[in-house]
Amino acid sequence: MGTLSPFGTAIRLHGVSKRFAGIDGIEVGVEPTDLDVAQGEIHGIIGFSGAGKSTLLRLINLLEQPDAGQVVVHGEDLTTLSPDRLRAARRRIGMIFQHFNLLHNRSVADNVAFPLRIAGESAARIRERVDACLAFVGLSDKASAYPAQLSGGQKQRVAIARALAPEPHVLLADEPTSALDPRTTQSLLDVLADVNRRFGVTIVLVSHEMSVVRRLCHRVSVMEAGRVVERVSLNDGHIPPDSQLARWLSEFGGGSENAAPQGYVPHAHEREAAHV
Amino acid sequence: MFDNIIELLPEIAKAINETLLMMAICLTAAVLIGGSLGIVVFLTSRGQVLARYRHFNLLANALINVFRSFPFIILLVAVSPFTRHIVGTSIGPLAASVPLSLAAIFYFARLIEQTLRDVPRGVIEAAEAMGATPRQIVTQVLLVEARSGLVLAMTVLAVSFLSYSAVAGVVGGGGIGDLAIRYGYYRFQTDVMIATIILLVIMVQGIQLLGQWLARHVDKR
Repeated sequence: MGTLSPFGTAIRLHGVSKRFAGIDGIEVGVEPTDLDVAQGEIHGIIGFSGAGKSTLLRLINLLEQPDAGQVVVHGEDLTTLSPDRLRAARRRIGMIFQHFNLLHNRSVADNVAFPLRIAGESAARIRERVDACLAFVGLSDKASAYPAQLSGGQKQRVAIARALAPEPHVLLADEPTSALDPRTTQSLLDVLADVNRRFGVTIVLVSHEMSVVRRLCHRVSVMEAGRVVERVSLNDGHIPPDSQLARWLSEFGGGSENAAPQGYVPHAHEREAAHV
Repeated sequence: MFDNIIELLPEIAKAINETLLMMAICLTAAVLIGGSLGIVVFLTSRGQVLARYRHFNLLANALINVFRSFPFIILLVAVSPFTRHIVGTSIGPLAASVPLSLAAIFYFARLIEQTLRDVPRGVIEAAEAMGATPRQIVTQVLLVEARSGLVLAMTVLAVSFLSYSAVAGVVGGGGIGDLAIRYGYYRFQTDVMIATIILLVIMVQGIQLLGQWLARHVDKR
């Protein structure tokens, strides 16, 4: 950790591509793409359904094996690692999902303990991390509850606590708020911003919700048909008016670009646009 | 009316013991060997963590299908040379346990493979993303998340093989089914037939109730 400069590159994807046949036989995936994410940055990946943004995210921890290209996380090319070393690398990359993916037959505390347990950490260390992470997401009182007893927002908080337990450098967030209502989304984004600020965790966030991206991200990669078509720096949520992103926002966001926290892209529109 | 039964009480007790012995052997074999086979078949199926071992998956699937194609009574006869080879005889509950175990292993392998499919792919994926090994995914994710379904699968297995063990009676396998055939059928002792049926109904009910209670108890979903 000490060798990493605070302004270094956390993630570098170089010429990665991934193709697979979609449900209706149409090829989907990621065309040869580069992506650089700086240490401590919150990087958004935005685009319509089927643009390849989740695939791109999943290439970062090799949940998808790229057909070609390099995946460098903290100076290590993951594509060259042995299965054992890859597992070790993955322990430093947290991930949260749209549908939370908690273990339903385990208590909240056991869910948070899971990544530590499989890494063979000591019982004392596990207890300490579980307590700390649950306190951080504000769910200390739910430690012995089961996921089925929690609300969606609480489940995602547990998932965040679980991802943070092994003290990762990087957090991958795959549509983390898409299953949540607007108010819950807001408070969850506050938690993610806190993760970034307090622990310096680099976050890569995939979303199709413009409001999520503009509220949270420092930089945004806009994806279309498997490639990154635009990279935008957001300055306090301000979107450069000449960008593709700004055009989308005026098209789908309903209203002026600076007063559009409801810049949510409805599903029907996504489909229409996908056919254009 | 129940004279035959009273007279046969020692025989009935012996038959129950024999049935329990056959069940114990074939269920143990099924859970250990069939369960492991089912897990590996699941892991090597398309889109799962060991999908790269596709050849193993095809082979194991074919093997399971072949053994599951045998009508049990045919399997019983077909493997009798093998049975004689390892038990020394093809008669009695121990001998009957060989074909019973064979049938149960492949039956349970299929049941387990299907039960594990109920574990959402995303949950397995989350474990992979956290750096879990395939073994950890089995012991800490699959078996934990599917445990209620696994209990129900064992319940189905036990009920099915209670009835299969009665079929084994036809070829001198012993047990409750054997008793029913020898006295209830060949000697026209209807009361013995009824008694054995009642016995089997009680056993099935017991297994089913226990299985369902346990499945509910371990399910936190």
